[in-house]
Amino acid sequence: MASIIAANNLTLAYEKGKNIIINDVTFTIEQGEFVFVTGPSGSGKSTLLKSLYGQIKPREGTLSVGGFDMSKIKKKQLLQLRRNIGIVFQDYKLINEWTVEKNVVLPLIITGYSLDVQKVQAEKLLSHVKLSDQANKYPLELSGGEQQRVGVARALSKNPFLILADEPTGNLDEFSSGVVWDLLENACDQLNATVVVVTHKIPTIFNIPYRHFIIENGGVHEVH
Amino acid sequence: MKSIKDHLMFILPLMAMLIGIEFILVFNRITSSYENKLKNEYAILVVSQKNLTTPYLRSIDDKIDSVEAMNRADIAKEVTSGMQDAALAAIMKDLPFFYRVHLTSYMSLKELKKIRSELKAVNGILNVEIFGENYHSKHTIFRLVKMLLNIFIVMLFIVSIMLVIKQMQVWQLAHKDRMKIMEIFGAPMMLRSGILFKVAIIDAIIATILNMLIFLFIKSKWSQNSDIDFVKHNQDLLFNISDFFILFLTAIVIVAISVFIVAMNTREVPEG
Repeated sequence: MASIIAANNLTLAYEKGKNIIINDVTFTIEQGEFVFVTGPSGSGKSTLLKSLYGQIKPREGTLSVGGFDMSKIKKKQLLQLRRNIGIVFQDYKLINEWTVEKNVVLPLIITGYSLDVQKVQAEKLLSHVKLSDQANKYPLELSGGEQQRVGVARALSKNPFLILADEPTGNLDEFSSGVVWDLLENACDQLNATVVVVTHKIPTIFNIPYRHFIIENGGVHEVH
Repeated sequence: MKSIKDHLMFILPLMAMLIGIEFILVFNRITSSYENKLKNEYAILVVSQKNLTTPYLRSIDDKIDSVEAMNRADIAKEVTSGMQDAALAAIMKDLPFFYRVHLTSYMSLKELKKIRSELKAVNGILNVEIFGENYHSKHTIFRLVKMLLNIFIVMLFIVSIMLVIKQMQVWQLAHKDRMKIMEIFGAPMMLRSGILFKVAIIDAIIATILNMLIFLFIKSKWSQNSDIDFVKHNQDLLFNISDFFILFLTAIVIVAISVFIVAMNTREVPEG
């Protein structure tokens, strides 16, 4: 299997802060793997995730995502990489002035897909997240759980090779959490996407094999 | 209501800037036309003992356009009315030549004085009258008005730019989240700022059209009832169709710069 993510002696730190968040870690994640990243609050889980979509550059060591060296990646290449990554945020990050349907197809709009393709894909994904009847509503008209399901649908809309999720069920009720985990499982199992989920708690019922990384004191340890 | 207010917040300062530019265009045309009128109506009077020709005087100063000889007989008749023909013939014999000297363009008083001294230095020229004070006083008032207008336009521009900057901050607040989310999903800057650019282009079109309507009204209605003869007889100077394109182009440039600055301010800077 090809490595989708490869970190080699990776160190991450915020430019303004002096403290190092992730210190000298090495790991690889292969295509089609499902990875949970857990750890105490402030341990650097979200920082690690941000480094995977280029919002934080490696301070030392190397990090490769989808074949791109993240410490040397150019802006244009970074945007190109991001177009093929689906990202789910704890705070949803939906565009409130856009309808649910338009939010879902944002990655398709960015890539320049036709309106017909957008329409078909939006209908399919909204049906998967059980929000077909909410297509023309605006995000602020939905509950938190519904907004997160829109966020997951958006992340899946372009069949990305990599899905990154930061506490995707952190604020959700049981039903919405179940829908979100099912969708992420399916993306990994059926679409062979690599999924990296940062979470406080791994769900008790999970139907596919997964790896588990714990971040603690700047280090990343895999639980076998 | 909020949307209309948002549009007006950009349209009004943009209109103020465009009005300033249109004022400059109109006033430059009026100045040029007025100077041309002054030049055409103006001539230096030269009294000479010898015959003068245009090429000869041009060789002395290239700002001289043409030389027009005045009818000596007419001049002699005026001073000899009631005298006998013999007296007229005697006067004609000693009467010098009179010339009107026309210039190539409108000259300042300093330039006129320079031409006068050059002509006076020519052997045979008895006198040169430039009528400088009269000629120049009209133009001085005109230039004063033009200078005051330029100061006013500069002030208008400064205030307008400050208002546009204020509106750019409003845009930044309103579009920041959307632009950041789009960037996370890989949208290039053109796409991220596209929506804002469309809004601003509509404002630019509205501002240009409103400006055009104001100046067309001034041209067609106000100038007809104006007490200023020069304006009444030169309505074409008040608005040209080419002005519309100049104003629109200016508005687009202002919009492009404003949107570009907003887009640059909202773009993500990687940490680490």
